[in-house]
Amino acid sequence: MTSTGAPGASEPRSADVDGKLSLTLRVNGRDHAVRARVHHTLLDVLRSEIGLTGPREGCGVGMCGACTVLVDGRPISGCLLPAVMAEGVEITTVEGLEGPNGELHPIQEAYVAHTGFQCSYCTPGFILATKALLDERPDVTREEATAYLAGNLCRCGSYVKILDSVMDARDRVRDG
Amino acid sequence: MTDFAHRAAIDPARGGMLDAVERVTGRVPYTIDIAVPGMLHARLLRSPLPHARIRSIDVTRARRVPGVVAVLTGADLVARGDLQPYFGPVFRDQPILAIDTVRHVGDPVVGVAAADLDAAQEALDLVDVEYDELPAVFSLEEALADGAPLVHEEPPRTGRTFADVIVDAEPGTNICNHFRLRKGDVEAGFGDADEVFDDVFSSPPVQHVPMETHACIADVRDGRVTLWVGTQIPFVVRSQIAEIFGIPQSRVRVIVPTLGGGYGAKCYPKIEPVTAALALAARRPVRLHLSREEEFVTVTKHAARIRLRTGVTRDGRIVARHNTCHFNTGAYGDIGPRLIKNGGYGTAGPHHVPNVWIDSYAVYTNLAPAGAFRGYGINQAAWAYESQLDLIADRLGIDPVELRRRNLLRDGDRVMTGEPMVDAHFHELLDRAASWIGWDGGAAVRDGSRVRAKGVSVIIKGSVTPSTSTASAKLNEDGSLDLLTSSVEMGQGTHMTMALFAAERLGIPADRIHVTTPDTDVTPYDQQTSSSRTTHSMGTAVVGAVDDIRAQLVRLAAEELEIAPGDLELADGAVRPRGAPDRAIPFGELVRSSRSGNLLGSATFRTEGGLDPDTGLGIGSVHWHQAAGAAEVAVDLETGKVEILRYHAGVYAGRIMNPVQAELQTEGNVAFGVGQALFEEMVFDGGQLQNGNLGDYMIASVEDMPGELNTDVLEHRAANDIHGIGETSLPPVMAAVGNAVYHATGVRITDLPITPEKVLRGLRARATMEVPVR
Repeated sequence: MTSTGAPGASEPRSADVDGKLSLTLRVNGRDHAVRARVHHTLLDVLRSEIGLTGPREGCGVGMCGACTVLVDGRPISGCLLPAVMAEGVEITTVEGLEGPNGELHPIQEAYVAHTGFQCSYCTPGFILATKALLDERPDVTREEATAYLAGNLCRCGSYVKILDSVMDARDRVRDG
Repeated sequence: MTDFAHRAAIDPARGGMLDAVERVTGRVPYTIDIAVPGMLHARLLRSPLPHARIRSIDVTRARRVPGVVAVLTGADLVARGDLQPYFGPVFRDQPILAIDTVRHVGDPVVGVAAADLDAAQEALDLVDVEYDELPAVFSLEEALADGAPLVHEEPPRTGRTFADVIVDAEPGTNICNHFRLRKGDVEAGFGDADEVFDDVFSSPPVQHVPMETHACIADVRDGRVTLWVGTQIPFVVRSQIAEIFGIPQSRVRVIVPTLGGGYGAKCYPKIEPVTAALALAARRPVRLHLSREEEFVTVTKHAARIRLRTGVTRDGRIVARHNTCHFNTGAYGDIGPRLIKNGGYGTAGPHHVPNVWIDSYAVYTNLAPAGAFRGYGINQAAWAYESQLDLIADRLGIDPVELRRRNLLRDGDRVMTGEPMVDAHFHELLDRAASWIGWDGGAAVRDGSRVRAKGVSVIIKGSVTPSTSTASAKLNEDGSLDLLTSSVEMGQGTHMTMALFAAERLGIPADRIHVTTPDTDVTPYDQQTSSSRTTHSMGTAVVGAVDDIRAQLVRLAAEELEIAPGDLELADGAVRPRGAPDRAIPFGELVRSSRSGNLLGSATFRTEGGLDPDTGLGIGSVHWHQAAGAAEVAVDLETGKVEILRYHAGVYAGRIMNPVQAELQTEGNVAFGVGQALFEEMVFDGGQLQNGNLGDYMIASVEDMPGELNTDVLEHRAANDIHGIGETSLPPVMAAVGNAVYHATGVRITDLPITPEKVLRGLRARATMEVPVR
């Protein structure tokens, strides 16, 4: 039996016989009861327990940004955060940006309008990084966006159109 | 916007991707998003040694781990006797799991399928393997030395392969294949030369780094093998799995979800055989998804060393070339035996050279296998000949752009493989590149501690020839169209492109067309989604399939209207007598009146050609892809750091079908090229990869892009031809940057990448020689 004390969990708890802990994660505005071993990452759990496909593993070491999710609005690498430490925070994935009837978020609209992607494996990460950036700096410049997005990698090299998308998204978000 | 609204708003003048909305919502399904009921998860134990005999493998404890269903070794595969355990697109030299010998660090040795990845990993940790280490070779020099240890003791097993492949292995050596090109009289050519330049240029191994690593799900049941796999070449995966299992191809089904990047890494079987073998052993579906570290040892770009002897006249005409090319193909041939042909003849360049002698070799070593990589040998070739050209220009005192103008192919000149050049645009591409960059002869401009200068390069690239693409189409009773092709969507937008071809030819909106993802049970043959061939080859096949349906529609309408077919026209989704829209019969009505349920159309597009195995002459490519690059760089003299200030990527497209994607592919080539020019290199020490992860191996981020980028996709609609652009603008990047660095500093880097260390070393060497920085 293992036990762990995780931030957000008030008391240490015991794992089940299969080594898994029962957790409650708040993802895209809803609570999800999930089970995870201590070494399972938030990315593992979002995909295998909650069935989300937006967060994706690219490198497993927090360098590529393909698994970017927002934790209380800040972008983090889902592959680096143990799931047991993700209780008590608000987690947002790209699936959480759409409206109730599947309307795209203005940032997503901008990425479609400029085709800011090719294979699009990295796209949810870029879109969430863009969301965090625009929340932080609604009047961001292209140069600032370039520096901010350097932690997200796109091997197809769609960077010009990604920046076009970000600048358009800024205007769409700002001008409502 | 919803997915429906997006499709209704498709603008053929812009293009893009059919499933754009799915792509920004994270819902577009990759292989890793697919789950099959009862599916197990696989992990592979890999060799820690570069070359060794396997003395023993003990899997007893691994088999006991709860949740483990199958543990498989190469010896198990041999013992079963029902599988052919070797595969490869040219030579069958790669075992599904190591048999007796491991040949590179990372060679798969044991496979485990278990209920979850934790159990699979625990089982791997409990496997005991004893090895007897063997002497190994890593560099070309080591592999080619007299008495070098052999990576493969036996001559390579051959099997069915592509029509264009020329096989000439040299058993008893590490030479996996040898390609020759003999054009004109090279000794006489050197006799005509005033100067002969003899230089060696090299390129390191790099990795494709698709953001989605290799993934495959295999299910073996009911006498069939079904695979869901991110591959660029489903029909070769099918034929190879059929060969391995000894079953008809009709009993292998390959389904290809969209790819999270390919760039050549996902050409030819890689992890499909071992996944299928594990599914067979486990009698359950199995998923294998490689980690990033495993991806690095699965396939690489070929390291290459290219020696160019180039004879030129005093006025700058290239009269002879004698090139010797060695490509490090790693432990297994993969497609290396074919790549050395393209990379070999490619070293003759886009120049009118009457006398050419080329030997090109694929060389086995104890490194990870090298295979197809965006540019397919031309990156290495162009780095060599375009770098040397600026050395020649300097020596002869001729402006580098002018030197190229004196040699670039024009219509009617013989290309290196002997056929006459048609639809040449090299001069136009060079002129546009020189104009945009503001060509100034390569002047070095001092700016504080930095020096700025410009460089250009021009390349030629073939597309696999001969080749075959078949398309089929179904016109439905409401006049909508299903398009069936095996062309793989990997971010290049081919599904939209094919829909645009069909929409234009049939005269219906693109949103009335569905393009089916490859499924070998359903979609017809396509040779490969690579070689920048799909828009040309499959596009032509799609037009043919639609023409087949058009002919049926006209026949049906002619009967119904009692009008000669020649007096009918297609417009607005209907057939009508010429100029009589009031008598138009909509497509759907014709389909219904046919009582066929739907109208089926199909067509095959074949290209013809191939090279003579002794001379390398013939038809090298159905048409020749052409590109030019121009770079302006700033080199910091104190740190050696190179910054690409501006870059012009010019490529000849013929007709552009999907404008946005054409731009994106070209921009992507620049990003790929920037990495290879300045920092990408897989570093090995004793066969151990030192930087096989994205913490240590750098790929271009948004910050690495040129400060200003001009994407110049050159269109000539009148030419009525479509040239592939997926790779074409990549090979110029490295040489254009290298030439700019040379003009800025006088330092000629001959081995990629152009790192600050190499630039500083070059600057110091020049200072020692008391050669002033210009």
